[in-house]
Amino acid sequence: MIPLRGRSTTTGWTQPRTDIWQIARPDDPRVSERALLLDDDGRTRDGAGLYISKDQFLSGPGPTVHVPDELGHLAPGDVVVVSDDGTRVNVAWKATATHNSILLTERCDHYCLMCSQPPKDGDDSYLYGRAKRIISALPFAAKAVSLTGGEPTIDPHAFLDLLEHIAATRPNLSTHILSNGRRFSDKAFTTEYASVAIEDMMVGIPLYAADPSLHDYIVQSEDAFNTSVKGILNLVAAGAGVEIRVVIQKANVAQLSELARYITRNLPFVNQVVLMGLEMTGLARPNTDLVWVDPHDYRRELREAYHLLSSAGIYTRIYNHQLCVVDRELWPAAVQSISDWKNDYPDLCQPCSVKDQCSGVFSTSGSRLSPNLRPIVDVEMSS
Amino acid sequence: MPLRFHSLDSDRVVVSNLVGEHLVLARAEFDEVVSAGTPSPETLSTMRARHMIRLPDETLPVELLAMKLRTQKRRLADMTSLHMFVVTLRCEHTCRYCQVSRQGTERGEYDMSQDTAEAALRHVFASPSPQLKIEFQGGESLLNFELIRWIVERAEEINELERRDLAFVIATNLALIDDEMLDFCEAHRIVLSTSLDGPEDLHDHNRRRPGQDSWQRAVDGIERVRDRLGTDYVSALMTTTEESLERPEAIIDSYVDLGLTGIFLRPISPYGFALRLRGGGQYDAKRWLEFYKRGLAHIIELNRAGTPITEIYAAIIAKKMFSNNDPAYVDLTSPAGIGIGGIVYNYDGSIYASDEGRMLAESDDQTFKLGTVDDSWTDIMSSNRLLSPLWESYTLSSPGCDQCAFEPWCGSDPTFHHATMGDFAGHKTFSAFCTRNMGIFTHLVELADSDPYARDLLWTWGQR
Repeated sequence: MIPLRGRSTTTGWTQPRTDIWQIARPDDPRVSERALLLDDDGRTRDGAGLYISKDQFLSGPGPTVHVPDELGHLAPGDVVVVSDDGTRVNVAWKATATHNSILLTERCDHYCLMCSQPPKDGDDSYLYGRAKRIISALPFAAKAVSLTGGEPTIDPHAFLDLLEHIAATRPNLSTHILSNGRRFSDKAFTTEYASVAIEDMMVGIPLYAADPSLHDYIVQSEDAFNTSVKGILNLVAAGAGVEIRVVIQKANVAQLSELARYITRNLPFVNQVVLMGLEMTGLARPNTDLVWVDPHDYRRELREAYHLLSSAGIYTRIYNHQLCVVDRELWPAAVQSISDWKNDYPDLCQPCSVKDQCSGVFSTSGSRLSPNLRPIVDVEMSS
Repeated sequence: MPLRFHSLDSDRVVVSNLVGEHLVLARAEFDEVVSAGTPSPETLSTMRARHMIRLPDETLPVELLAMKLRTQKRRLADMTSLHMFVVTLRCEHTCRYCQVSRQGTERGEYDMSQDTAEAALRHVFASPSPQLKIEFQGGESLLNFELIRWIVERAEEINELERRDLAFVIATNLALIDDEMLDFCEAHRIVLSTSLDGPEDLHDHNRRRPGQDSWQRAVDGIERVRDRLGTDYVSALMTTTEESLERPEAIIDSYVDLGLTGIFLRPISPYGFALRLRGGGQYDAKRWLEFYKRGLAHIIELNRAGTPITEIYAAIIAKKMFSNNDPAYVDLTSPAGIGIGGIVYNYDGSIYASDEGRMLAESDDQTFKLGTVDDSWTDIMSSNRLLSPLWESYTLSSPGCDQCAFEPWCGSDPTFHHATMGDFAGHKTFSAFCTRNMGIFTHLVELADSDPYARDLLWTWGQR
């Protein structure tokens, strides 16, 4: 787990030219547009737009933000968001992370029972603009970004504008969008989306049940299933990449294989299907009684759904599941999917021999974990 | 949405939708559904997921159903992909159930000529199908291997411009295969399809030749082809005779012993010699079904114990039960596969709508003769000799088929019904084709409903 925000102090503070800063190496030719880290002895070079110090008493030759100890992991290639007054620092990009996501909005037209990031209604339209600035500040080595929300397409124009910005500045940046898919039921919007010249782009769309009523109940929105599936069909017809995301929970676990059959029969052309475990945070906490199910108790359902899908030639992955609660035959499909900033291994995992291949748990889930986690000590898994 | 149903027994009903997705319900539950009563939420949920019912204002289920139907029928527009060339009627075998071969005849009289083959190839490439499969038949096709060689090379030459997905199959008893032929097959990636009726005694009883060594030659041939070309280049077909009926396990085991991973449990064709007393075909559909079920049970047990072997007919049906993919099997499709799925060019240049149609002609019934290679492709395809049997037998407008729950999995066989009933559609109550297929459909549904292992196995077969 990596902390991504902290309170900071400043010295020599003048209003900086932007809120988004890429931390550069001292030899960066565009150092005036970049932030530089002070080394342990406080050394740096002149001319940076901003200085970042991990020490409360060492300052640079310009406006300096002193970050708290928990942000000691900051390194060149990372991108930070600094509040106007310099009192708050958020990490927008970790160069070393395998998953980096950018939040586009907290607004959403769904209100999923197990939402890990509950929607908020206020005007947060500034986030789309901030996302563009983050994209502009990304290091050259950045390979992939995930655009999340809320519902990223809630403002369709701002959303497409952001994608055009990526296409214009970083067309090779592999772009994954987490959307409920409903906006794509609009063919004109989907056509415009599919014409954006980003080389590798995919939308991950949740589908929780083959029965429209059950899906609509889980996402707490009427006509959601029919609209999302139309969105998937439009995307595929437009030649765009689609991933189906299934969060396994109490309400749909008994119908998981029916959903798998539905996908093979109606949506066999999607690029992949992901069967996901719960992240017990956000709305999932107050709704624990409605959503929680121990993965240990649905091993059979998971295995069946996986086999139905993969034997039909659909590339299927399993996310967020600890190997000790998944059948061994499914291990090759169980991906280390939890972002490293919220990824943890409980103490009992320490002796486990497959810990390095395991997704671990969500640190955000707190103590809401399967009671059946146990270290596996009898196998060596080759990678 | 359109749904049809069939009683499995007094307690259970199978319900199917327009494209063959199905569900087994308890009769009481089914009654609740069709009488607008109060079925359980689970039933409603599954029936919505499987596009059997929808809410009044929903349009998505209709769109998806249409999409699935389009997918299942999309090959229709491609037209004929299977082109069978009868390169000779001569054969050194005298099989009991055969209706077409000629023994002891001199080269020439019953061989296809190069001119005929050239004209037939014009028909092959006149078909718009992106996939073209040329299958050589006999007689014993290897007796005219020279012509096979010429046709393969000529077809490949034409295909340099045509750029179709072109494949070749030789149907042969393998008794005469030699190294030179194998070299040629290897160079041109030709698949060999042979006949194997089961254990040696049964096979040699059915398939007679001088020396009574048909089985040994077939087995040796299979191994030689496999060694030279690979496992995927040889397959075997069996024909069920009276003597086979008590021995399904032994027949299947003989395939397993040879390392074959697929077996097609086929009934005998009701044409010509086969129906004569000594042809081995004097059994009814009911006895054949018993044989089939016993065989399938044995195959499932073999798989369960770790020996993978597929029953090919069940796999064809499983594909229809569990996917939208067209298994491209011309004998179980509607509209029928005659002419528009597969077509036969006889040795003498006459064109038949199906292999069975050619066999009927051997007993002087020319109903399925569409013309000759000198006619144009358009004339052949648009003639009433082809169109009448096609539309008269179309399942969605055939009495007995249009309301059948298994219509999406089934097909029409105008040749069979004409041969047995003198009518392209046939009276399904008395049709052995219908009895056999209904028996298999209900059996597969019951297997999938009662045995999770069998259900998974069928699912897997259906997805290949």
